[in-house]
Amino acid sequence: MGSLGSSLSIAVQSLNAASGALQATNNNIANANTPGYTREVPILQEVAPTTVGNLSVGNGVAIEGYQSVRDELLTTQIQQETTAQSGANAQLSSLQQIEPTFTTSTQDIGTDMSALFSSISSLSTNPSSPSSRQTVLTAGQNLATAFNTASNNLTSQQTGLNTQVTQDVSQINQLTQQIAALNPQIAALKGTVQNGGTLEDQQNQLVLKLSALTSVAVTQSNDGITLSTGNGTPLVVGSQSFVLKTTTVSNGMTDVLDQNGVDITKTITSGDLGGTIQTRDTTIPSLLTQLDTLANQFGAAFNAVQATGTDLNGATGTAVTPFFKFPPTVPPAVVPIVGSAASIKMAITSTSQIAASSDGSAGSNGNLVNFSTLQNATLPAGQTPGGTYANLVYQVGSLTSGANAESTATTSSLLQLNDQFNSVSGVSIDQESANLITYQTAYEAAARVVSTIQAMFSVTLTMGTAAAE
Amino acid sequence: MRVTSMLADIQYQMQQSQQALATATQQVSTGLRINQLSDDPAASSSMVISLGVSANVDAYTSNIGSVLPQMQTADSAISSIVTSLNTALTLGTQGATGTNSASNTQAIATQVEGLLNGVIGQGNTSFQGVFLFGGTESITPPFVAASTTYTSSKGSVALPLASTTGLTNGLVTTVSDATTGDTYTFTATAGDTVASLITAIGNAVSAGTLSSGVTAGINASGQFSIGTNNPADGIVVSTNDPALGSMSAVAGTAVANAYAYVGNGNSNSVQVGESMSVPTNLPGNQLLVSGANVIGSLNSLISALKSGDTSKIGTATTAISAALNYVSQQRVPLDNTISQLNAQDSSLSSEKLTLTTQETALVGISLADAATNLSQASLDNSSVLAAAGKIMPQTLLDYLH
Repeated sequence: MGSLGSSLSIAVQSLNAASGALQATNNNIANANTPGYTREVPILQEVAPTTVGNLSVGNGVAIEGYQSVRDELLTTQIQQETTAQSGANAQLSSLQQIEPTFTTSTQDIGTDMSALFSSISSLSTNPSSPSSRQTVLTAGQNLATAFNTASNNLTSQQTGLNTQVTQDVSQINQLTQQIAALNPQIAALKGTVQNGGTLEDQQNQLVLKLSALTSVAVTQSNDGITLSTGNGTPLVVGSQSFVLKTTTVSNGMTDVLDQNGVDITKTITSGDLGGTIQTRDTTIPSLLTQLDTLANQFGAAFNAVQATGTDLNGATGTAVTPFFKFPPTVPPAVVPIVGSAASIKMAITSTSQIAASSDGSAGSNGNLVNFSTLQNATLPAGQTPGGTYANLVYQVGSLTSGANAESTATTSSLLQLNDQFNSVSGVSIDQESANLITYQTAYEAAARVVSTIQAMFSVTLTMGTAAAE
Repeated sequence: MRVTSMLADIQYQMQQSQQALATATQQVSTGLRINQLSDDPAASSSMVISLGVSANVDAYTSNIGSVLPQMQTADSAISSIVTSLNTALTLGTQGATGTNSASNTQAIATQVEGLLNGVIGQGNTSFQGVFLFGGTESITPPFVAASTTYTSSKGSVALPLASTTGLTNGLVTTVSDATTGDTYTFTATAGDTVASLITAIGNAVSAGTLSSGVTAGINASGQFSIGTNNPADGIVVSTNDPALGSMSAVAGTAVANAYAYVGNGNSNSVQVGESMSVPTNLPGNQLLVSGANVIGSLNSLISALKSGDTSKIGTATTAISAALNYVSQQRVPLDNTISQLNAQDSSLSSEKLTLTTQETALVGISLADAATNLSQASLDNSSVLAAAGKIMPQTLLDYLH
């Protein structure tokens, strides 16, 4: 049979258990909105019963500790989806800034190209008209400026992304350092009955931030988690983190090196860093090459026609000033394609230098007809000038649209995964409120038991006294 | 499934509905379905092509607007020439009757001289600075009163030009002959001298480009001189070679009723459609010199009238009649072109309308669709906000009192 003392002991344990459970509930409520927090549940365990003869009497409850509720698979999926989302967002952000450069209704290359041809067509009605010649000159300058602006926008975007690479690498190094520092602390806690959940929450949150920057592979080991990039470059092993480095290569761009100095830039294809590198090294250079080719071949075609005519000063052939120039290269020297869109300028500075005449007389418009035919002429790249620009517009629109779709899809997917994660690990205020009542009631009941036993003790202690009286 | 905080989902839904609302508002305010290339890359690309075509149509319409009044002015000038020739025909017929006194015949000759001056005036018609009958040499009057002698501004007794004086490579000296109606152009090449030019002019006479009697040389004043020994003939000379300076007619050597054509025989074409170009000028030599030779026939009539020979007057009058027919024929293609331009203008207006419709279909949105989209987006947004307002404040704590 149990004594009052053992009953009191059970009641006190019960008070402790209820108090401990209340603490877990309190902590859950406190961290309901803390990013990365996973809810904790108290581990309550029945104390082994005391057996006297054939009678077994329970010995109450004990709180064994706290358990963070998490699903490792969901955690991994969220990390992977975060990587995909960040990569798509990085590309989308850049492309959305590039997109306005290639509009279809304002001062863009297509509009200015049409304006140049229109001005030439208008000049053909009165080839010696100074005002019509000035219109051609202005239209040519506008087109050159549109090429310059588009090229500068792309280059400026590329430079910004290059800076982003350095910042991303710096953040990756900070995060891997913090993650590595947590590994021994978590490993030490796992050997005890203490709860390592909070530290693991912190570490998971850091890994999630790292996943937003680049794809990481996470493996569990006795020393904590081991992290490596998607291509296997180690980032964290136990308490050690391996820094990534950056270096400026010949094209002026910043490349990423692993701890051994091996260039791993091309292997980083996802996350913010991957998306940034993809846009910087593939998307923008491709657009720039097409823009340079268009500027170069369009300018060369105009210069070739200009050389077949006679200007108002009587200059013809090689004596004619070229229509466009590409400083520092001045035609007829061969102009390299790279940088053509950035450098193209009007070479003619006076209205009299437009070689409109095909027979040497001031009123001839024969060569203007040759200029006009360039509008429908196929450039060496295989398309008409307008067709080339339309293709460029399609590519920019398509790339942006694709990145937008990818961003929306990953955001939606990530939302669902987070819902699932919260379903398992999130704090429900309603549930915690119910737990609060449950544990409060348990505490009150245990306290009532203590009070009852105290009363029984008092009765017991006063039994002899009452008889003596 | 445990449901914890719905905040993230609600925020996402609110963002989505607000984005949709912003898009719908933009569509209503701009009337455009596409506001960024990424809204519809293929349509945006097609729009670039369509805008290019549309700009061309605008340019062609503008060209018609410029060319049509120019051609109408030319047509009006030719009409005046036809009237002058008709009058000349009447006067010639009158002069050929043989019943006129000598003074009457002279008076008729004077009237025909007036008609010739009028024809020359029409031949020098300009429109906004462009001489319509100068060929592509359209910035100076194409018909210039001819003289028998031209001399250079360079050269003097003290510093005479010589046959060995070098000319400037690439620069041009022209001699237009009123009788032949042709222009000889000499373009100096490296090493050419005044002697080269003198030889070339002699060759042009041999070839018939210049009339016999035209000669060139260094005169007693040390100037380069070109002249003709035929008092009824006249020439006009010009140069841009600083070695010679400018060429000017010697005072008192002007030949009455002799006009040289200093334009050329070329014509311009202007594009007024994707595959349609029209010639915009009729060279004056084609209109008044070659063919039935309007100027020549008028000069012949003047000479015949002055001689009083009715037979010659009759012959000259017949030539005027031929010239009249010739000029009328020359006018036909011009009138046809004017008709074509008017028709093309209407066609371009129609094409522009089609293109605008296409562009609207590509990037625009109908007001009804835009309003419907806005209404739907507004309803969606209100619903999301109302749902959020209902759900977010509710917790078990509200009921635990």
